[in-house]
Amino acid sequence: MSRHDPAVLSRRRRIALRVSGFVLDYLIALPVGCATAMLWANTLPDSYFRFAHATTFLVNDIGIVFFFALITKEVAEATLPGGALHSWRRAALPVAAAIGGVVVSIACYLAFVQYVGEHMLKAGWVAACAIDIPGCYIIARLIFGRHPAVPFLLLLSISADAIGLACVAVVHPVGDAHPAIGLGLMAVAVGAAAALRHGGVKNFWLYLLGPGTLSWWALFLGGVHPALALVPIVPFFPHGLRDRGLLVEPAPQAHDTLTLFERWWRLPVEGVLLLFGLVNAGVPFHGLEEGTWAIPIAALGRPIGIVAAAGVAIAAGLHLPRRVGWRELVVVGCTASIGLVFALFFATAMMPLGPVLLEMKMGALLTIAGGGLAFAMARLLRVGRFAR
Amino acid sequence: MDRKCATRLLTTLLLVISAWWSVTAQELALPSAPNSVKFAVIGDAGTGDSPQYDVANQMARFHAKFPFDRVIMLGDNIYGGQGQLDLIRKFSQPYKALLDRGVKFYASLGNHDDPANRRYPLWNMGGELYYSYATKNIRFFALDSNQVDRKELTWLENGLKSSQEEWKICYFHHPLYSDGGTHGSSVDVRVLFEPLFVTYGVNVVFAGHDHIYERLTPQKGIHYFVEGASGQLRKGDTRRSAMTAKAFDQDMSFILVEIDGNQLSFQVVSRTGTTVDSGTIQRQVRSAR
Repeated sequence: MSRHDPAVLSRRRRIALRVSGFVLDYLIALPVGCATAMLWANTLPDSYFRFAHATTFLVNDIGIVFFFALITKEVAEATLPGGALHSWRRAALPVAAAIGGVVVSIACYLAFVQYVGEHMLKAGWVAACAIDIPGCYIIARLIFGRHPAVPFLLLLSISADAIGLACVAVVHPVGDAHPAIGLGLMAVAVGAAAALRHGGVKNFWLYLLGPGTLSWWALFLGGVHPALALVPIVPFFPHGLRDRGLLVEPAPQAHDTLTLFERWWRLPVEGVLLLFGLVNAGVPFHGLEEGTWAIPIAALGRPIGIVAAAGVAIAAGLHLPRRVGWRELVVVGCTASIGLVFALFFATAMMPLGPVLLEMKMGALLTIAGGGLAFAMARLLRVGRFAR
Repeated sequence: MDRKCATRLLTTLLLVISAWWSVTAQELALPSAPNSVKFAVIGDAGTGDSPQYDVANQMARFHAKFPFDRVIMLGDNIYGGQGQLDLIRKFSQPYKALLDRGVKFYASLGNHDDPANRRYPLWNMGGELYYSYATKNIRFFALDSNQVDRKELTWLENGLKSSQEEWKICYFHHPLYSDGGTHGSSVDVRVLFEPLFVTYGVNVVFAGHDHIYERLTPQKGIHYFVEGASGQLRKGDTRRSAMTAKAFDQDMSFILVEIDGNQLSFQVVSRTGTTVDSGTIQRQVRSAR
């Protein structure tokens, strides 16, 4: 019985939450990788750091490309009829809230770094933007179940991370940048992807090996982090007519290219996430400075920014989704304080190896406490599962 | 002799002994040869508080007996605010006597330093986070241990490989080996720097970060010093281990170093002028590739 068999898929869907296998894999692979890394780094640090430094490029610059591709797949599908991003009006308020969250997070981060006088951390400010999309989704589903607050939170998270990724790309060039060569190659890559789509090519391998590889080199040579290589390519994959929802299991009978791509890559990405946790989450508990708290402090400021920006946007004429009031918005803001994988990624993208990066990594891991904060706030405000 | 008289005699004797000890303890324990290279080492100094000024005054006092021409700085050179007034209060003012006598400071940066201060002219960094310079038979490598990228490692490897000087001395902020209880060894930096140090025959390494003084037993043939107590102090923070050769965590300190031919002599002086460690290191001729 294969893992793609409808019977297996339906059983998996019954496991919990009725979320996609991708999210369930995330729930297992990442914590295992992180816990192993923590244990290893604090018992045999020499061998751990030798391993981590040797594999960083392979995992953070190549492997993670496919994780971002699966996230892009979700976003691309959300623009289809029935998807959360199908009309710009539905996305406007979460985008505005995300901008508020990003601005206040960065301000809190920089103010805290200035306060504790760890000036070397200033260069890592982009990590303050990061919201962990799958992590938030899991917590939001546990609190709200099926509720309009969940897609609202996902759109908000995607927007904040998109701002962060744009900042990484623009502010922090990788290596010796050759922007002209990068732009030229990217134009060829996107052109090739468009030609494949126009020609009715349905095999996702052709998109990956041709335009995908070109796009990776375009970003690498252009000075942009190559982890985003498949972000401009995945939207060209042939897809279904309607979206079933963000991070929701595709229909068993679906055989469009995007769905086949997700099914094939889910298991390898599970391995990538395990390795990502293993390579990036190993931080010695001993000897960290106050700067470790910069990312958690930024994450605590995020709900304030989200609620404030949403307030401004509502005053300007935008509307909250149905059944989402201020109490739900506060809980959504608290849930969005989880940075985890995205904060780890931004930190490693912005800072070279060394003790400053270790502080940022520990800070990124500590944002997992945002889940507890969200539950506490939901209970306090009697929201979601605590409403009764 | 009655009891009162004996007490007086004993008190006088004790006073004479302590005065003698205090004078000899402040004495120079270095050869101070005329053509040797002389320098001082300070780390984690820039608080702008009176203990930093005390250490700086002690350095100026020793400079009269031991005319070192340079001071290497191991990072966290300025704590807190990093503006022009801070640079005056936490650097140029405390070390004014040395600066006036033409002593040059060569800084590396710590996690509390603003990277923009690499352009501060009195720190002679040439606007770089890592750089190298030579005098006589010694080449110094001031490194950035805060964030180590491939570019820095390639630069260091090329610099060590092409260095013709007999002594290769590296200094930076985070210690590769330390028994400091608060921070300890920075293993993540060690796995990056140490293979190059061993391969290309680095002799001595100075680092700060832990607010103590420590000299470690040679590790893979390299002599390591931690001096992070030239303005900050964590009293009693040393967790002695098999690699501790000597540690001092009861007061602030600085190191005086003299290199003459194949011999390096060092003397560690406390804020009050007491010598807390001294010794010599013979240069081991190792096969640098």
